[in-house]
Amino acid sequence: MELATLLPLLLLLAWLLPLASFTVIVFAGPRLGRAGHKAGYIATGAIGTSLVLSLIALGSWLWHHPIVSTHHDEAAVHGEADRHGETGNHEEHETPEAHGEHASPVHFTDDWYTLAEFGSLKLTIGYYIDALTLGMFVMVSLIATCIHVYSFGYMHEELEDVTDPLASTSSGKPLVRAGRFHRFYQYLSLFCFSMLGLVVAGNIAMVFVFWELVGICSYLLIGFYIERKSASNAANKAFIVNRVGDFGMIIGLMVLFGGLGTFAFGDIEDANGTVHPGIFSQVRPDENGRELTVPDGLVRMAAASQMDSIYESMPSAEEAEIQIAQRITELRKHNTGYWLLILAGLGIFCGCVGKSAQFPLHVWLPDAMEGPTPVSALIHAATMVAAGVYLVGRFYPVFAPEVLLVIAYVGCATLFMAATIAITATDIKRVLAYSTVSQLGYMMFSLGVGGWAAGLFHLFTHAFFKSLLFLCSGSVIHACHTNEMPEMGGLRKKMPWTAWTMLAGCLAISGAGIPLLYGLSGFHSKDSILAQAFSFGQRSPSQAWLFWVAAAGAAITAFYMFRLWFMTFAGKPRNQRVYDHAHESPASMYVPLVILAFFAVTAGWPVPGLNLPGLLEQARPVGTAEGFPGSVEIASLVVPAEHLSHLDAVHRPVSMIASGAAVTGFLIAVLFYLVRVFNPETVRRALWPVHAFLIHKWFFDELYDLVFVKPTLLLAQVAGALDRLVIDRLADGSARFCVAVARIDDLIDRLVVDRIVNGLGRLTYGFGQRLRPLQSGLLRQYVVMIAVSTVALFLLIFFYRNMTLLP
Amino acid sequence: MINWHTLFFFLFAIPTCLFAVAVVVSANVVRMAVCLIASLACVAGLYFLAAADFVGAMQLMIYVGGTLVLLVFGVMLTGQGGYASMKITSTNWLMAGLSGGALLILLLGCAALSVDAWSPKTVAQSAPTAEAEPTVAPLGMGLLGIRVDRLSQPEATLQSGMSGYFLPFEIVSVHLLVVLIGAAYLARTRRRREAEDSA
Amino acid sequence: MFILGQPVSLSHYLVVGAILFVCGIVCMATKRNAIGVLMGVELVLNGAAVNFVAFSCPFLRADSHLALGLDGHLITLFIIVLAAAEAAVALAIALCYYNTHATIDVDEGDELKG
Repeated sequence: MELATLLPLLLLLAWLLPLASFTVIVFAGPRLGRAGHKAGYIATGAIGTSLVLSLIALGSWLWHHPIVSTHHDEAAVHGEADRHGETGNHEEHETPEAHGEHASPVHFTDDWYTLAEFGSLKLTIGYYIDALTLGMFVMVSLIATCIHVYSFGYMHEELEDVTDPLASTSSGKPLVRAGRFHRFYQYLSLFCFSMLGLVVAGNIAMVFVFWELVGICSYLLIGFYIERKSASNAANKAFIVNRVGDFGMIIGLMVLFGGLGTFAFGDIEDANGTVHPGIFSQVRPDENGRELTVPDGLVRMAAASQMDSIYESMPSAEEAEIQIAQRITELRKHNTGYWLLILAGLGIFCGCVGKSAQFPLHVWLPDAMEGPTPVSALIHAATMVAAGVYLVGRFYPVFAPEVLLVIAYVGCATLFMAATIAITATDIKRVLAYSTVSQLGYMMFSLGVGGWAAGLFHLFTHAFFKSLLFLCSGSVIHACHTNEMPEMGGLRKKMPWTAWTMLAGCLAISGAGIPLLYGLSGFHSKDSILAQAFSFGQRSPSQAWLFWVAAAGAAITAFYMFRLWFMTFAGKPRNQRVYDHAHESPASMYVPLVILAFFAVTAGWPVPGLNLPGLLEQARPVGTAEGFPGSVEIASLVVPAEHLSHLDAVHRPVSMIASGAAVTGFLIAVLFYLVRVFNPETVRRALWPVHAFLIHKWFFDELYDLVFVKPTLLLAQVAGALDRLVIDRLADGSARFCVAVARIDDLIDRLVVDRIVNGLGRLTYGFGQRLRPLQSGLLRQYVVMIAVSTVALFLLIFFYRNMTLLP
Repeated sequence: MINWHTLFFFLFAIPTCLFAVAVVVSANVVRMAVCLIASLACVAGLYFLAAADFVGAMQLMIYVGGTLVLLVFGVMLTGQGGYASMKITSTNWLMAGLSGGALLILLLGCAALSVDAWSPKTVAQSAPTAEAEPTVAPLGMGLLGIRVDRLSQPEATLQSGMSGYFLPFEIVSVHLLVVLIGAAYLARTRRRREAEDSA
Repeated sequence: MFILGQPVSLSHYLVVGAILFVCGIVCMATKRNAIGVLMGVELVLNGAAVNFVAFSCPFLRADSHLALGLDGHLITLFIIVLAAAEAAVALAIALCYYNTHATIDVDEGDELKG
């Protein structure tokens, strides 16, 4: 079968299977076996099938497009001698002409279904499939499958009635509620559907829809233990903070649609054979050598008043169009409309900041750890939060260098800040949450400095090792029934599988490996990020400090990860009760750990013909292979091409620095928490201002509370007072007035109207009473009456006649 | 000079009035019935004197022979003593007497003695002396719808009254039948009630 | 004036009729016995019948052409017949009354008084 028809079909199936599972569980949930436990099998079966289908899709892709090209340079760095010969060739590739043929990545895009059409606004369910899409599909479905299996063990308590010690009823007793096993899997299925839809989406409107769907799934799953106040608060916080980002995203969408008139990523050929250019080909048109160009639509939008005046001055529309086309060419030379492109990029990035928990909207992710741990692993570590990074990667051709600089700054700030907070956190999941924020910062940073492949490479490796770490922490929490690391210690004897797989995860995230050779997955991805940062610093010297911040972040990462591992698994038990209670988790939990550990170790290996960077290179966005040679607004800004960072001159020193940083962090952690040369307590006391600053998470929550929450509450109180003092009084007064009027009415009714009516009634009644004796029922009396009446009548007539007739 | 007709008239009229008064003043219902028979029989005599031979005959037959027998039956069926308790007060007597007297004065003053043409004086001057004819046949024809006494009536106003009494006759016949059935029905109710009580 | 020397006139008859009528009225007004009341009714009817017969006779009046003639006789016949019918029904009513009240006293039958 043609690849162009096979891939959409496979991915469509893989995408819709979780939706089917969700639908089944929604309608039949509690009836699926005891406490709905068969819902787990349905959901797992669906996502497992999705995994198989995506693997088939990836396999058929690799069959048609084997990974060979553009990877020789990285391979060269890693010392593969047989490829050395080709390193010279890439000098030729640097010229735009030579890269022309590679500029547009192989992709398939079309619309499956048109939802609605309003004039030029067309909303469709479409797909955009390239190597990145396929990679994301496999990654998401693989991790989701592992987590579905893992959850059988982790969520087994939900099969019976649950006594929740963290939630209480109004009478103060612990809350007892029915188990929600099926609902958990129902949400997971919905999430998988939404996430896969987000990945496969062929236009930005569809992305937005699924963006919100994963948001709602995240909301539902953070608030899974809805009876806990903290959980419902965290769910609300996540949802509201994300809205802030989505607001920016909507602005970006409006700018893009208003200027380009399409939502689609790629060119779409309709039934008549007309090709509708997508966003990418409009922003990077072929005729301009796929350089970033302000599209006509945005120029027209920016100079709308000029265009209107041309229309009015010209006799016919055709001539006006010719004039306008000329004017656009002129205006483009003056970079008119460029700011709109920046605005669009910043808007889209705004949404990604919210979803990927970047500074300054990172505050929701640590609180999101209130959800069940598998959820934290799947949504808040591996997939959904990475969706922001994925979208930045997908939208890469649209970003101007200035936007990329903002992305780099934001990512850099995030990675450093989150890493420092992770040092002092004691909640095992919160350490990992801040670590996640920090690693997402790395990805954003990488994309910002031009490391497209490096950033997305890190996305993949991070997904594996961070979900592994989360699941390990889940296993520990499952065993200890506490999140606090000071309560743990020495657990590696009790739970070896968890301990050693978690160690693999720690090593992976710290970037452990033999410098310049093989390492764990994190080693390769983090090296390429730092190399790109270094390369960026070389080209734009004023931004060179970013590299050193990132390197320091790497050291801190190694420190807090091993702090975590040592505090949890090494040393002596700190709480004997917890230690005695601890036990190794069931096989359904540690088997996924082993699988993920395998990928955490191997995902970054540069295996010839099957490696992630090579796969990503196949999807390199159109026109970005050369980096961004010049910037309009900031003269000194040059974003270098990524392959330059693979040069030995760059890569060797960076690799050494990165490894050195990781080792430094590791050694400090060893000194503090393993051999206890330093006592963390004394250091904490000595550096108490720093510690207080970090333990309060840089006072972000307090700051937001002061800047946003407090004024809002104040405003609400003022409005409330206004309500009570003015509007309520007005309403009360009018009500009182009505009551008074009604009282007067009542008096009139009772004193006047009622008396008249009653008097009339009494009068009639009395008259009737008077007449009663007349009807005596005595026959003889009636006869007398008749006689008397006759006489009277005769007399009356008689006198009347005499009086009238007599003259 | 004695007018024989007048004499015979008074012979019947005075008993009539006396027996009528006797009916009023009598307390015994049987005595009342006897007086009534006598009074009505005298009225029949008055009819004969007014040249209404058939009507007088009917008065005797129906009233005296029929209706009053019926009345006596009624007296006997209901008469179980207790007549003494049926006295009425003198106030009632007074009221009845006053109203009856007023009515009598009214009737006499306003009707009987007010028209000159009806007084004995004018009758003596102008009354025709033709012989009275038997009325049975004309009455029978009248009831069948033919007025033989008006065939040669020259006045148009009187000729227009030349309609017979066939329809009223039929109506009265049906009326009588209905009344008899109704009376029989009413008189039967006692037995039914007793049957119901015994049941 | 010698009353027997004068011819019988309509006034004689009307006086007799008036006396019968008033006797009937007084009878009805004074008798507590239902049969007595019935007899009063008979007297009243006879008073009326006497009047009709008198008015139909041409010899009793000066304006003899205005006499009712046969019409008066026929109406009198109808009165007699209706009196008979009335007597039958009234007697049936009296019997019925006697059955329900165990007395013939009309003063006892005042259930419909106001």
